[in-house]
Amino acid sequence: MNTVPDLYRILPEVILTLTGVLVMLLDAGMPKTTARRPLGWVAAFGTLAALWASLWQLGFPAGTAFYATVQTDAFSVFFHVLICGIVLVALLLSLDTLPADNHHPGEYYALITFGAVGMCLMTSAVELLLVFIALEISSIATYILAGYRKNTGKGVEAAIKYFLLGSFATGFLLYGVAMIFGATGTTQITEIAAKLPTSPSPAFVFAGLALMLVGILFKVSAAPFHVWTPDVYEGAPTPVVALMSTAPKAAAFALLIRILYGAFPTLHATWTPILWGIAVLSMTVGNLAALRQDNVKRMLAYSSIAHAGYLLAAFAGGGVASITAAAFYTAAYAAMNVGIFAVVTVVSGYDERLPLIQDFRGLLYRAPAVGGLLLFFLISLVGIPFTGGFFAKFLSFSTAVDGGAVWLAIIGLLNSGVAAGYYLRFAVTVAQAPAANAPRHPALHPGAAVSVAIVLAAAATLVLGLAPGRVLGAAGDAARSFPAAITSSPITWAK
Amino acid sequence: MDTQIITLILLAPLGGALLVALLPDRGKLPAWVALATTLLTLLFALHLPAHFNYSATGFQFQSDIPWLATPNIHYHVGVDGLSLWLVVLTGLLGPVGVLASWNVIRERRKTFYTLFLVQQTAMLGVFVSLDLMLYYGFWELSLIPMAILIAMYGRTQSDPGGPKAALRFFLFTFIPSAPLLVALLWLYAQTRTFDFVTLQSAIASGRIPAGPLCWLSVAFLIAFAVKVPVFPLHGWLTDVFSEAPVALAMVVAGKLGLYSLIRFHVGLFPVQAHQAAPWLLALATIGILYGALLALVQKDFWKLLAYATLSHLSFCVLGIYGFTLAGLDGSVYQILNHGVSAGAIFVLLGALYERFGTSQISVYGGLAKKTPALATLFVITTLSLIGLPILNGFVGEFLILSSTFTGASRFWAISATVGVILGAAYMLLLVQRIFQGPPSDMVAQLGNPDRDYDLEPREHLILWPLAALMLIMGVAPGLWIKGIESGVLPASQTISAPAKIAVSSIPQGGQQ
Amino acid sequence: MTLYLWLIPLLPLAGFLINGLLGSRLTKALVTTIALLAPLAALGVVVRAALLVWSSPASLPYVETCPLGWIHAGGLNIDFAFALDQLTLVMLLVITGVGFLIHIYSVGYMSLEEGYARYFAYLNLFLFFMTILVLAENALLMFVGWEGVGLASYLLIGFYFSRTSAANAGLKAFIVNRIGDFGFLIAIFLLLANFGSLSFSALAANIAAHPELQGGVITAIALCLLFGATGKSAQIPLYIWLPDAMEGPTPVSALIHAATMVTAGVYMIARTHFLYDRSPLALTVVAVIGAATALFAATIGLVQTDIKRVLAYSTVSQLGYMFLGCGVAAYSAAIFHLVTHAFFKALLFLAAGSVIHGLSGEQDLRKMGGLRKKLPITFWTMTAGVFAIAGFPGLSGFFSKDAILTAAFQQGSMGKALWFVGVVTALLTSFYMFRLWYLAFFGESRSDDHTHHPHESPWSMLGPLVLLAILSVVGGWMGFGEGLGRFGAFLRPVLTPANAPESSISTSLEIALLAIAVAVALTGWFIAHLFYGSRNNRAANLAAALPGPYKLMVGKYWIDELYNNTIIKPIFLFSRYILGWVVEEGIIRGSAWLLAGIVTLLGELLRRWQSGNLRSYAGWLAAGAALLLFAILSASLGASAFTLHLNWAGH
Repeated sequence: MNTVPDLYRILPEVILTLTGVLVMLLDAGMPKTTARRPLGWVAAFGTLAALWASLWQLGFPAGTAFYATVQTDAFSVFFHVLICGIVLVALLLSLDTLPADNHHPGEYYALITFGAVGMCLMTSAVELLLVFIALEISSIATYILAGYRKNTGKGVEAAIKYFLLGSFATGFLLYGVAMIFGATGTTQITEIAAKLPTSPSPAFVFAGLALMLVGILFKVSAAPFHVWTPDVYEGAPTPVVALMSTAPKAAAFALLIRILYGAFPTLHATWTPILWGIAVLSMTVGNLAALRQDNVKRMLAYSSIAHAGYLLAAFAGGGVASITAAAFYTAAYAAMNVGIFAVVTVVSGYDERLPLIQDFRGLLYRAPAVGGLLLFFLISLVGIPFTGGFFAKFLSFSTAVDGGAVWLAIIGLLNSGVAAGYYLRFAVTVAQAPAANAPRHPALHPGAAVSVAIVLAAAATLVLGLAPGRVLGAAGDAARSFPAAITSSPITWAK
Repeated sequence: MDTQIITLILLAPLGGALLVALLPDRGKLPAWVALATTLLTLLFALHLPAHFNYSATGFQFQSDIPWLATPNIHYHVGVDGLSLWLVVLTGLLGPVGVLASWNVIRERRKTFYTLFLVQQTAMLGVFVSLDLMLYYGFWELSLIPMAILIAMYGRTQSDPGGPKAALRFFLFTFIPSAPLLVALLWLYAQTRTFDFVTLQSAIASGRIPAGPLCWLSVAFLIAFAVKVPVFPLHGWLTDVFSEAPVALAMVVAGKLGLYSLIRFHVGLFPVQAHQAAPWLLALATIGILYGALLALVQKDFWKLLAYATLSHLSFCVLGIYGFTLAGLDGSVYQILNHGVSAGAIFVLLGALYERFGTSQISVYGGLAKKTPALATLFVITTLSLIGLPILNGFVGEFLILSSTFTGASRFWAISATVGVILGAAYMLLLVQRIFQGPPSDMVAQLGNPDRDYDLEPREHLILWPLAALMLIMGVAPGLWIKGIESGVLPASQTISAPAKIAVSSIPQGGQQ
Repeated sequence: MTLYLWLIPLLPLAGFLINGLLGSRLTKALVTTIALLAPLAALGVVVRAALLVWSSPASLPYVETCPLGWIHAGGLNIDFAFALDQLTLVMLLVITGVGFLIHIYSVGYMSLEEGYARYFAYLNLFLFFMTILVLAENALLMFVGWEGVGLASYLLIGFYFSRTSAANAGLKAFIVNRIGDFGFLIAIFLLLANFGSLSFSALAANIAAHPELQGGVITAIALCLLFGATGKSAQIPLYIWLPDAMEGPTPVSALIHAATMVTAGVYMIARTHFLYDRSPLALTVVAVIGAATALFAATIGLVQTDIKRVLAYSTVSQLGYMFLGCGVAAYSAAIFHLVTHAFFKALLFLAAGSVIHGLSGEQDLRKMGGLRKKLPITFWTMTAGVFAIAGFPGLSGFFSKDAILTAAFQQGSMGKALWFVGVVTALLTSFYMFRLWYLAFFGESRSDDHTHHPHESPWSMLGPLVLLAILSVVGGWMGFGEGLGRFGAFLRPVLTPANAPESSISTSLEIALLAIAVAVALTGWFIAHLFYGSRNNRAANLAAALPGPYKLMVGKYWIDELYNNTIIKPIFLFSRYILGWVVEEGIIRGSAWLLAGIVTLLGELLRRWQSGNLRSYAGWLAAGAALLLFAILSASLGASAFTLHLNWAGH
């Protein structure tokens, strides 16, 4: 089977690593005075190459490499492409918005690429230790990036909080891995699935599963493991938030799917109700808390928590449909969230002159194009048809209803009604005529790169809403790379 | 051509929106483009009645293109007698809306007309969609431009004003559509299709147990009832009417919700609809009287209009849930009437508001001497709204009330007829307070005496055709009803014929 | 034989459209020509039809149906169908004839008013709807005319709309009529529900075919129709709008509020008499309402000082006579009185208008007097009218009123009582008419303004007066003889009650009744002469002697106040406070507000929960983990197995 050179199986990761290293070397080599903008372009092209490489991997038959620690299949490719895409947009976004006088821009770009390595690896790793390492790579990069605004207290606070809580959470993950190993004698996902029935101590299996879930759910900022999100988003630079609110989440969701459907498909009946509860909790807490936020980034932080909830609702369905829906949701969510954070970056700037919702009043008058795009992304987040946001939500809840979790769908959609409250409050503020005594804001001149970034995001959101066929197909293929998922029948408890 | 025409009708305003968005925001350019677009749309829309086969039932001008395989969503559009004239009405109100906004919208014309045209597309889409997912899409889409425009152009920009009304409107209509979506998903889970006709037969075949069906129908009902609005779900109406630009306020209430009630609530769940009918008849009658009584005591003419609208639309609900053919004819006809007459009254009140900058009725008085033409058209529209015979309103009200009386419930019919008296009272009282009596201080000391405060040619251009339409629709309703009847026939056939019982044992006298 | 009935309404409609839309741009002469041509042409069509019909009465009823129907929906088929029979013909002749005269009169009367074109447009519009009303072959088309004349009346009463009183009067008239129309509509629904048709011919045939149909639903229908009639014809309880309607120009009062529109109720009852014949109860109610209204209005008329108000109450009273006639199944007599009343009441109003015109707007009888010399022609024509309405032998009023009273007298004891009320009313009528006559034309002028000198009106006004005077004098003779003579004979085919009472009355008794009628008329004149024939204060003394009744009558029994306080005010208070504040603001908007409030509150709590304190965050994280662990373990294995496994794991 394994005719494909092992190296090819990790080619995207390799490319990204090399890019990161190259960027750092160049940074070191360049004279202090020259602008570091070119480094950003290098990183961007590296990411593009990685993206191409992962697409190229589709040509291979699905298979493992390096002693069955890495597996490339439609699933891994789907998420590779997604993550590389996000990183690319984030880089483009940073190119224009990162202030020239910023400390160590070189490292900034390098860290992003290194983070990308970790995230990509998370989606293709099938060996729990490697999973842990990948997770740490991505996390450490994001910890540092979160605190990149060293001059502000909030920035540092964000980094510290994220770092401490993050390590705490990964601790849980590692403990879980240990227990699973104890219970099954292996850390290779497919073997775990095989050994489960004969496991001498199911208690450890369940405990391990629970602890690993804690670690992963922390990464996707699902309630009750979400507490870090608002503070970190508020403190981190907006371009970084655009990245860390999407890419690591996508990777984490990939990991969740990989573990649940790769290792524990037979425990379906156990983890589904758990995720059901967590989904309801996340969307409710996220939406309600977002209602009363005045700070745009905090509001969006809570909204991302709520979206994690919507996404988890897909798991109530079970089987291929669930994975498809979840994968599609991560894509759609990434598109619109990156987009909206990009717009927010453009408007309020890297140094966040305008952090509050009220500051956005009259944006549609000030800068029709930017304001219009902001409205568009908001509409997609609300889940209005013909946008990616709607279609993702539609799939997720339709899977849930298929699985018999009608109440989950009702709660979820009522939640989206509540969510409309704060999204629309924002949208309406944007559309409102500027206050008579409003201070004159400078006209917005988004640079070429950031414009491309925003347009890419908008286009993606629109395509996912109007013609989701292709992406849906890819997600379907990704889902079908879990043989166990196909066999495991939808649960029946809610009926 | 016949298969493409509806797609054309949908694309025309959408293309116009794109065009407006791309063209520079210079002067009245966006308005002119919008006007041209809406007129083109109206032209396309008129193709439907011209080539409609009135003898056939079922959907015509159909076009069914698969959109997605899984989930199985189609781009399936078509019209029948029910939607036929609603499409035309929407097309007609397009140019009316543009012309009504001609001077009112002074800034950001580009944004306004872009969103206005998107709104047109969405509304047309609602009427022609035969795939429930597509329908739902347009249904939700229609909320967005409305909300944004209300927020942008709310009359009182100081909070609470436009923004508040926009939020209120959006949440009021968006939240109830969540259960609707769940219901759709559940139906899909059972039948694997969103196609209206297929679903209809699937439900009729009794494959789906009655218990869930009941819940589904309730979900549908509530979502639509809020949009109509049906008492007591009208909480959003007054705010929107006081804030929304005329061009949008005139389309926000009524036709979308009522059409959906007939097509999807009665159409998909006949049995449950009949179970719900007694309640709806009661609510409709209460709405008629409640709205009329509140309209009687309003001090602000936008609010008065809001309650009047509640009262008028409740008539339609009354006609629908009597399930008599005449009643359904009357309801659909009344939707058209309301579109025309309410459109005119909105333009007229908008003209007053534009000239004198207030909606406080008490400020007006004795205006007729200053603005004879405006007064004349106002009175004509009023007469149409209060259902004066040989104007359009009467035909609808008579069909609804008489069929309710003979076919559904004498009690509710008689109570509703009281609403006809009250209707005359509040509308004529409004006419008197604005146009008659001695000139009020405001009117007496109107700026420069040489300025002509009367209607300008543009407004004449909108209003006289509408007035003529009121007369024609009152004298020759057959032109419309023959189409409508072919559309509502199925909805009425689900009935267990109390109409025939009511026409009593006495042998029929020779019908004329 | 085609009669072109459709032209009769459409010609005035054309006049309305032209003058209404372009009137302001046309020259006054042109406006006048159009305005006069329309009714004249209509009159021509009617006369032509009359002649044709006269030659071949067998051809009646004659029906014209508009080929493209009107309302065809769900088994409901209603057409624009016009029918001509003897009754309709009589009505048409009155409407177009008197109508045309009043148009001519208006040319003179309104010559100086602004809105000249508007006035004539409305007048033509009225003729349009009125002719539709009488031509209608089905109840719904009749309803069209019915509401339409109400509209025309509304517009004309409010013609001087910048006068608040006029605007209010118009509104009042329309609303009160709408209340009556409510009854008419319900009647239509009942007809549809029970007979499935609204065509009068079909209904009549249907009823005739079912002799067993008595009372019951028929009574219900008849009473609903009656309610409608009381609105249009200003009978108790809905008469209140007519006196206020005098705010309109005087010719309007003559045409609409005396001669034609207000008689529509009588026409409707006559038209649907096949229903009333089957319901003695309904007939009795009609008769009682008629008699009561006649007496009641007459008493108010005694003390009015505004010349037009006197005539207004007199109209209400005379309409009461017509209802009384219908109530005793003497439909022909009622229609006969309708016709003669149209002559003399139109005459009286126009003459009064001429007086007002001559006094440049003065309407108060107390400020008139001595006009006999100043306005000779007006005086003589008015005199004819007064004697006619007072019922002097040989004049029109005498025949018609007597016919009704005689018919009433024959209806058993109940009929006797009604007859007596009628006679008393006749006395009062004669009194207040002569009172008006004396106050206006005799003695010396009591006017306090000496700037304007009374002047006779132009011939455009006097011509119609003279014509109407002649008609009032001789018009009665067409009903002279057994069973209303030629008039009765003409109407017999349509208006013979199903259970026609054979004239049981002896000639001697009939003569006695005539004598009483004459005596009553003379007495009224005599009393009036005593009070007002010469300057004296007998009237004042009498008023002082009976303060109670006097106040009551001057205050019009405070019926307006009664309605206002018991119906209108409560409705407004209920709407504003109970519905507006409690239900709308409190419950409906309040509940939405409450819901939003709760959600927002939860949001606020969650926001507070986010303390920002790292230690508490870690705590929450751990708690969540514990929860998850516990959930999974307890869910997947029973507690016992749990412990067991842990023990095993221990070693």
